[in-house]
Amino acid sequence: MARKKFMLGFSPELVNEPLVYRLVRDYDLKINILRAEVKEMGGRLLMEVEGKTPNIKDAVRFLNESKVDVKELVNYVEKNEERCTHCGMCISICPVEALTVDRITWKVHYDADKCIACGMCIDACPPGAMTFRI
Amino acid sequence: MKRTVAEINQKIKDGDVVVMTAEEVIPFVQSEGLERAAKEVDVVTTGTFGAMCSSGAFLNFGHSEPPIRMQKVTLNDVPAYSGIAAVDAYIGATELKEDDHAEYGGAHVIEDLISGRPVRLKARSSGSDCYPRKDIDTYVSLNSINQAYLFNPRNGYQNYGAGTNSSERTLFTYMGKLLPNYGNITYSSAGQLSPLLNDPTLRTVGIGTRIFLGGGTGYVAWEGTQFKTNVETQSDVPMGGARTLATIGDLRGMSSDFIRALRFPGYGVSLAVGVGLPIPILDENVLKATTISDDQIFAPIIDYSVQSRNRKPIKHASYAELRSGKIELFGKEIRTSSLSSYLKAKQIAETLAQRIENGEFTLTEPVAPLPRERGMGTLEVRSKEEAI
Repeated sequence: MARKKFMLGFSPELVNEPLVYRLVRDYDLKINILRAEVKEMGGRLLMEVEGKTPNIKDAVRFLNESKVDVKELVNYVEKNEERCTHCGMCISICPVEALTVDRITWKVHYDADKCIACGMCIDACPPGAMTFRI
Repeated sequence: MKRTVAEINQKIKDGDVVVMTAEEVIPFVQSEGLERAAKEVDVVTTGTFGAMCSSGAFLNFGHSEPPIRMQKVTLNDVPAYSGIAAVDAYIGATELKEDDHAEYGGAHVIEDLISGRPVRLKARSSGSDCYPRKDIDTYVSLNSINQAYLFNPRNGYQNYGAGTNSSERTLFTYMGKLLPNYGNITYSSAGQLSPLLNDPTLRTVGIGTRIFLGGGTGYVAWEGTQFKTNVETQSDVPMGGARTLATIGDLRGMSSDFIRALRFPGYGVSLAVGVGLPIPILDENVLKATTISDDQIFAPIIDYSVQSRNRKPIKHASYAELRSGKIELFGKEIRTSSLSSYLKAKQIAETLAQRIENGEFTLTEPVAPLPRERGMGTLEVRSKEEAI
């Protein structure tokens, strides 16, 4: 079993396709939708996927064939260690506690695996240490 | 037990001074007792590293050929005040770059200078017989500038209110991003490490006191703006913003580790300044004050959605609670964030302690005291007659 996060980009004509249903039914994937939005230019879906590695691979191929733009998210929000002052402003902003402070060392830690790329920390960080990579 | 600053400086010279940070001294006094600890400890060091908007730097660029009396000055497109002598200017930390969306400002210029980066200087003038030149466009750096010193009208606030937001929209404030419906609480004091909370009545600090400033050495220049003493106290320390310091210090010798430009989208820019104050342990009472701990220091929680200077605190919370990460408000657990870095505050107190132990930093007696009592007035819209 593997667990990965993907950002899917849809063109407006794909917005009505029940793609998540296909992923569950045909590829036996457990899906947790972290963020979804539909705008003039189409839709974006951020999701965490759990399943057998070959199934995830096949699902990505299926999505590509369906003309969905698929990006696997690895370190999509980056913390610049030089810039970070470890103030901790981000701690109460992050909805998934990917940013935490160690109460012994008072250092702020960023756990990229927990991050859902909501971007809320980016404009909340006073020294500008957090940036988007997608 | 009595001890003088001169005696402490002799011990620094002899290499046998005993220095502790305001954090280390708490358990030490607890285990040794006040009397024995006071005999042992000569100096307690403090530190804070937070957003201090009321900061800026005086610069002297040197004269060009032919000379110019600079009337409109920008540094990396950030306006600097030049209504002083020909090539002097003051760059304020919160001044914004022209046409910028609050991402770059005077604080960034100051950080760029400290980091040794070149800064573009543009100036215009109407020209005169003694200063014929009308414009200049060039680069300066900390190396090329004659004088460059921070002169911060208000630093090191003795305590400060914590912020929250009862409204239904996110607020973008100098207390950071405040989430709707009491979504979070932000605070900004180093608490038990904070300089003026460790000497609450300013017995040892006054005009001329040598301090750690921005990684280098600075001095207390004056009382800080909005200095006030009539604030309710608990455990002998104010329960909200009270005394402040005006500080001065050479940009040379400072480091971007302890001076950092900050930006608050929707508000503007500010400067994080590292300030460390050494407290000479002149007697047991001075030592006792330095043993204050986070559970004894309280900050008012202020609702920033109330757009008035008369905001009443929702309640008071101790820094121990604030620093724990969660606070209960109206039966709900609310997450807290610090705007000032406790890690940096510790580093400052430790660095200052080390400098004193190494004999690189000696203590000073105040040249003159800061006000014993001071209130803080308000600004009213009034007539000429009422203003007198």
